[in-house]
Amino acid sequence: MNDLQNALLAGQFRYILPEIVLAVAATGIFIGGTFRSGRYLWSWAALGSLVASLFVLTITAGFVLPSGEAGRTATFSTPLLFDSLANFVRVLAIVAGILLVLFSWNEVPDRHAADYLACLLVIIGGVGLTACANDLVSLYLALELISIPTYILLYLPRHDDAAQEAALKYFLLSIFSSALLLFGFSYLYGLTGTTNIAAILHTLYGQGGGDMPAVAQIALITVVAGLGFRITAAPFHFYAPDVYQGAPTVGAALLASLPKLAGFIALLRVLGFVTPDGVLVPVAGRPHVLPGMALSDQVPILFWFLAAFTMSLGNLLAVLQDNLKRLLAYSSVAHAGYMLVALAAAPYLSERSSGSDGVHALLYYLVAYGVMTIGAFAVIAFLSTPERPVDNVEDLAGLSGSHPYVALMLAVFMFSLIGMPLTAGFTGKFLIFFGAMNVVGEQADLYRWLAVIGMLNAAVGGWYYLRIIAVMYLRTALRPIQGRRNVPGLVTLIVCAVLTIGLSIPPGANVLLDAVKNATGIKSTPSPIAQR
Amino acid sequence: MTEPTFDLSLYYPIFLYLLILLGFATTVMILIHVVGPRKKTPVKQMPYESGMDPVGDARQRFDVKFYLIAIMFLVFDVELLFLYPWAVAAYQEGGVPEVLRRPVFWGVLVFIVMLLVAYIYDWRKGVFKWR
Repeated sequence: MNDLQNALLAGQFRYILPEIVLAVAATGIFIGGTFRSGRYLWSWAALGSLVASLFVLTITAGFVLPSGEAGRTATFSTPLLFDSLANFVRVLAIVAGILLVLFSWNEVPDRHAADYLACLLVIIGGVGLTACANDLVSLYLALELISIPTYILLYLPRHDDAAQEAALKYFLLSIFSSALLLFGFSYLYGLTGTTNIAAILHTLYGQGGGDMPAVAQIALITVVAGLGFRITAAPFHFYAPDVYQGAPTVGAALLASLPKLAGFIALLRVLGFVTPDGVLVPVAGRPHVLPGMALSDQVPILFWFLAAFTMSLGNLLAVLQDNLKRLLAYSSVAHAGYMLVALAAAPYLSERSSGSDGVHALLYYLVAYGVMTIGAFAVIAFLSTPERPVDNVEDLAGLSGSHPYVALMLAVFMFSLIGMPLTAGFTGKFLIFFGAMNVVGEQADLYRWLAVIGMLNAAVGGWYYLRIIAVMYLRTALRPIQGRRNVPGLVTLIVCAVLTIGLSIPPGANVLLDAVKNATGIKSTPSPIAQR
Repeated sequence: MTEPTFDLSLYYPIFLYLLILLGFATTVMILIHVVGPRKKTPVKQMPYESGMDPVGDARQRFDVKFYLIAIMFLVFDVELLFLYPWAVAAYQEGGVPEVLRRPVFWGVLVFIVMLLVAYIYDWRKGVFKWR
């Protein structure tokens, strides 16, 4: 460690002020909750601290980052890196947090509200730190900062058998996946002798994908398995239906959105789909390695199979479901499959300036998916009352008569999940499948097939999403849904619905696409072939 | 850094300490036998196991209170363990570098405050009430 590294390390703290704000607020709410309970008080506090964190983030994003020699040293030595992708994900996480606080406003029992909201703030901070992580150790700690509060959060609001099963199942499988992840990290450290992700990628890219030791493949598979749990990629999805069903609706919405975001960002970082400046430098005489193939040139094949398997399994099993939350759980598995298509195609797309980019498509889809899934869960929570719970698809019967606007918004979310035009789900699917069709060279046929599988899956998906819409509009209820006054819940719904439509048409679509391009575009695709 | 030479005379405080320790232990044992009152009741004759019945089926449920106390103990036990290396390295030549001293100092303070927060939380939640 030299003086420059030490100074850079000491200077890191001011960039994580948004996360520090969240952590301090969470601590305050934890302690405050033992003195005064009441969900409105602590919901306001949580909302305020999230807004404050967003405000602080806009300030810290303006802080000058080390550049030149110092910037290079920072990339290869500091545990956290604050590039535009990190800031993009941090904004996303905080906005998702605001939506989830509004969502849970009337859902959480008074007794547990403070603990619940504090855990939520810690999770948001964890997602933010995951996005910044530039070291295997800080990445792992940030991921655990998401997992550990989730265990509490799943268990707090409900204590029935289903909730206990959900919490325990998630806990056991989550620590198992963390262990797998650490196992893979230990191999990465063994291969390169460093825990700094930028340095690991630099070493591995310099090595050249072909003559990589077989150990790298073990690291690849265990890391993908460990993170696959968080993104509910099949065959690591088994917990999802049971946990979503047993968890409170807010918990299910959180599980379906934030861990997926964190898991995909971690995959992008660790496998080298997105690399900091100065990492992916082609060296004359060395074989050229595509982005994302740092560990092995088998990465696209691995993701190809994972994507095909995940989306097919998710969609086919979702068709069989009657319980709404189970259905949405399998739907979230299916959508993880679509996003994996983007990852599978990303290495081959990065070479060409064809206008489509796997990483951009993935980030766009993450936003679209988050908005429509939180929206769909918010509808369930909005309509459920203890006297007349909305558990099954049949329970939605006659919704168009009793709540025409809520029915319309749920229809918007369902159309978006199917991928109908004029919704964010369509634009996301279009970007992903268009990217897969755009791959040229030897792999072109392979990716056309993947796109075809994806489109067939979207058609299968249409069946169970349309079933919900049909039940809402064509059937009449034996007992009409009462619903209750819940303004924050309604606000969540409206915001999600507006975003679902707004992000697919100009100007919303352009804003998001520009943000996505800014987040990665400039540095992740330096078009190495053109440089040579 | 050169290896310090081993000199037995440097270690005499340890032997002194050992002597005092053994002396104290034996004195207490003897005093118990000489001075202490002896009232044998069946409960007092039982081997002590934190209030659990030591004889019987091992497959019985434990009260969660034991675990809470154990966790609290562990927290403060580990806290001390983390403070030792910092205390040694904080202001030493070749320890924590000059630029990092202030962040590390605040980091350690935050660490202690976090434990205090956890303690207050436990206290307010009634972990220490042996109900």
